[in-house]
Parts: sequence; structure tokens; C-alpha cells
Amino acid sequence: MRLLLVFFIVFIWTSNAHATAVQKPVAKPAVVKKGIILKSDSSKVDLRKFDETAVKKYSVQKDFIYDDVAPQSLSLWDRFWRWIWRLINNIFSGGITGSIIKYVLIAVVIAIVVFAVIKLIGLDYKFLTGKSKAVAIPFEESLENIHEIDFDEQIDFALQNGNYRLAVRLLYLKTLKHLSDKQLINWQPEKTNQAYVLELENENYKQEFNTLTNQFEYIWYGEFFIDKSSFEPINQSFLQFNQKTI
Amino acid sequence: MEQEMFNQRTDLSQLSAAVDQIRQSLSHVIIGQKDTIDLLIAGLLADGHLLLEGVPGVAKTLSAKLVAKCISATFSRIQFTPDLMPSDVLGTAVFSPKTAEFQFRQGPIFGNIILVDEINRAPAKTQSALFEAMEERQITVDGNTYKLEEPFMVLATQNPIEQEGTYRLPEAQLDRFLFKIEVKYPSLEEEIEILTSQHQQRTEDQLKEIKPVLSVEQIKALRATIKSLFVEPKLLAYVAQITHETRHNKSLYLGASPRASLAMVNGAKAIAAMAGRDFVTPDDIVKVAAPVLAHRIMLSPEKEMEGLTTADVVAQIIKKIEVPR
Repeated sequence: MRLLLVFFIVFIWTSNAHATAVQKPVAKPAVVKKGIILKSDSSKVDLRKFDETAVKKYSVQKDFIYDDVAPQSLSLWDRFWRWIWRLINNIFSGGITGSIIKYVLIAVVIAIVVFAVIKLIGLDYKFLTGKSKAVAIPFEESLENIHEIDFDEQIDFALQNGNYRLAVRLLYLKTLKHLSDKQLINWQPEKTNQAYVLELENENYKQEFNTLTNQFEYIWYGEFFIDKSSFEPINQSFLQFNQKTI
Repeated sequence: MEQEMFNQRTDLSQLSAAVDQIRQSLSHVIIGQKDTIDLLIAGLLADGHLLLEGVPGVAKTLSAKLVAKCISATFSRIQFTPDLMPSDVLGTAVFSPKTAEFQFRQGPIFGNIILVDEINRAPAKTQSALFEAMEERQITVDGNTYKLEEPFMVLATQNPIEQEGTYRLPEAQLDRFLFKIEVKYPSLEEEIEILTSQHQQRTEDQLKEIKPVLSVEQIKALRATIKSLFVEPKLLAYVAQITHETRHNKSLYLGASPRASLAMVNGAKAIAAMAGRDFVTPDDIVKVAAPVLAHRIMLSPEKEMEGLTTADVVAQIIKKIEVPR
């Protein structure tokens, strides 16, 4: 569809270009040589006359009445356009200033046309520089916003229900929020756990957070069994890390 | 520490030892290319066919030959040329004057590890000879079906499509490759090391020293172990979301097939096993996403003109989808 529109614009452009009339050189009248005697034409001329009745018949028919229509008074809209065209004509018919404005206007028109073509076919103008545009993709709604969860309450609730696996998950998310609040990581839902580990600049933090990440992954993604006794050391390691990074 | 806390449910010791040995053997000859080597091993363990793409001279064929050398299995090499015929790959019926009957003579496709060198220099007619072999592990000639021996793995190399004298591989064939591994230029330090190694004539000796690490039976056992690894249901949904997005992305003309989802899961399992885990994490999936998807999807003409690559689109898709936690 876009290509069709581009073709249409280019077609209109080129057909206008061809429409400009080309003036042919006017042939010079042949020079009549002196000394040539022209003989008079003595052939018989048969004079023919118009058929008056036929002329009358045609003259009353609407199709053969060529009288100019009397000019009507111009409307405000027509006067406005006449003023615009006169103004443009004055600008273009001026001296040096006129020709400068003329070329500036032509450049603007060309720029608008090029811009419209690029937009129509959906091209990224950065392709001219050889670099492709980083397409901004709207983020899909995150299932959970870690900045809105009351982690302490949720962890207590999970522990009361004996859901230690969920408690470890909440501990990990709480740590991510903590690191994000301290601007040690840039929280983005699409980032993987290892991406956050690599983001930490402090080597000690990196090592400890890597261990916590592995614990979380074994329990959450690996579905390793966890009970109250095995939860306690994990809980302690998360608490210690969060206190360290305050 | 994790191994102490969480006793492994699956014994991955044999796999870890084999992976270390293959890595060591390959890294003796191939300088750098760590990601390429890891993906080659992952592909071997995940029971997939591999396509290595790179400009001439970046050790694509050498890498493929070395992987084959690490396995004690039958190896054959087919050099794809513009005049190669399907019968040159599959085999053909030859008339035997003794028995006065036609007898099937096996082509080079009958082997465990098949190196198809410069695969995109043969036309589509010859490429299609590989379709049945790669997917169904069998070939059909003159109405007779011949089963190919397990393990069966096609290791193909190709030059980028922009290179002279290359054909674009059919989509159906590209879909049959588990990974497309892009072999990049070495870094300056790596190149100096390559030159030093060549200058001291170490490479040839090291090539000869490479001994098979795995037998056919061991490969079969390791592949069975990898298939049994655990994948959390939310991660399966994550894989499906990634593949699904390729079918609705405005930058793409052709999305990935369900075979791509399966390949992503299998590839991620192999990566997890290589890391010593018996379960998959989102990082494993992200690691294999581009090698699995980039050759299976097609850019829209506008995006191709802009200079975008399929790997760029895969990266954008990954950035759009929330990691399950």
C-alpha cells in the first residue's frame, strides 16, 4: 500500500515535469528571390456560398453558441487565493532576494515531499547514517510490581502457611527491591537474575548476591525441597546481605 | 555451596567430565571462540543439527571437524558444490551384472557425524535431499526407506548470504537446525595467539593429539539424561511467549515455528546441564534464544533495508517479555 502511494507521488511529480511545453524554434520565412515573375492564375473560380438555413439552424443550438460568459463577481475565497498567488508571483518575480526565497521554498517543498515519502513507507531516517533505530517496544504489564509489595507481611503469611518456597521467592524479590532502592541495580522486569549479578560493581556484593541468586534458583526454578530447618540459614543469609548493603 | 545445600537429583558428573574434556580439546586448537565451543557442545548434547555461519577463514570447518573428532563415531564429509546432485548425498541404485539386479549404494549421509561444508553453495534441489534425513533420521530412495544410525548429527558450515556464489537455504531446512552459530572474527590478542601457535607449528600436533572423548553409547546416555532435566512450567510459558511474539512482531515477515520452542527448551536443558544444574533457569533460555531463533525468522523488507538483523529483533523481543520469578 505504502509503495503504491510512493509510486503515485512519483508518478504525479514526473508527469508534471513532462507537461512543461517545449517551444520549437520558429522557422524563418523563406527569402523570395528577386527576378522571378509570377504569372496570374487564370483558372475559373466557382464561388460557393454558405447555406443560410443551415447556419440559422445551428446558431440557435446551445452547443454552437460560443459567447463568453459574463464574468461574475469574485467571492471572498477566490479573492483570497488571487491575493496569495499575486503575492507568490511578486516574490518570485523580484530580484536577488526573490530568487533566494524561491530556492528556499523549493528546498522546503522537496524536504516535505521526501519526509512524507519516508513516513509513508515507514522507513527510519537513521538508515541514512547506516545505523538502525532502536525500536521502542511498549512494556507488557508486569505481573507484580516489587515496589508495591509489602514483603514483610507477605513473607510472614507464607511462613504461617508453611510455604517456604514462596517465602524464599519473596526474600529474593525483597533483595532486588532493596538493591534497586540503593541504586546498585537498575530494576527492569525483563532482566534475568544473572544480569543483576553482573550489574553489581562491588566484588563482595557480587559474590554474595550470586550465592543468594543460586539458592533462589534452586528452590524456585529447580523446585528443590525446602522445610523450616533448611529455610532458616537461607533467611539469615538474605538478611545479612540486605543489612550489609544498607 | 549450592551443591552442598541441594543434593543433585540427577547425576551429571559423567556429563561434566565429558564437557570439560571436549572444551579442553577444542580450546587447544581453536583460540578464543568460547561461546562457539559452548554452543557446539550444547548442540551435540541436545541431539540437534548445527549450522555454523561466518566469513571464510574463521575456523568453521575446523571447529566442526574437531567436534566430530571428540566422538568415537563414523564421520563423513560432503563438500556442497553448485553441481552436487541429491544422489551424491543420499546414494543411488547401481546395476549389478552378477545378480542382474539394482543394488542400493549408500551415500555419505550414512554416518553418525556428517560435516556438510559450505552448505549454501548447492542449489535448493540438493538441499532438499537433507530434509527427511535431518528431521526423520531416515532417507527414502526408489520407494525404499533406510533408517540412519543414531546418533545422527549434521554439522553444516556456510558463508553469509552476501558472499559470492551462495544460495539462501530454504526455510524448511533452516528450521531443522537446532542452532545457527555465528563464528565471529577473533580479537587482536586471539589473532596474535593464533599466529604464534601456527608459527611454532603447534596446531598440527595438537590436532593429531585429539582423541575421542565420548563413545556412541555415552552420547546416547548423556542425551537421555538431558531430556529428563526439569523445566518449571512458568519457564515453558516464557519460551512459548518468546516464540509467540516472533509471530506478531511488526519487524518480522516470518515468525518461528513450534519446532523452535522445542529447540529452545532442549538447548536450554543442555546449557543447564553444562552448568551443572538439573533444572533450567531463564538465563539458559535467554542464552539460546538468538542461536535458536535468529535463523528461523525473517525480517520484513523495510527492516532489512534499515540494516536490522534477526538477532537484533530477538534481543528486542527478549527485552519485551518479563522474566518469570
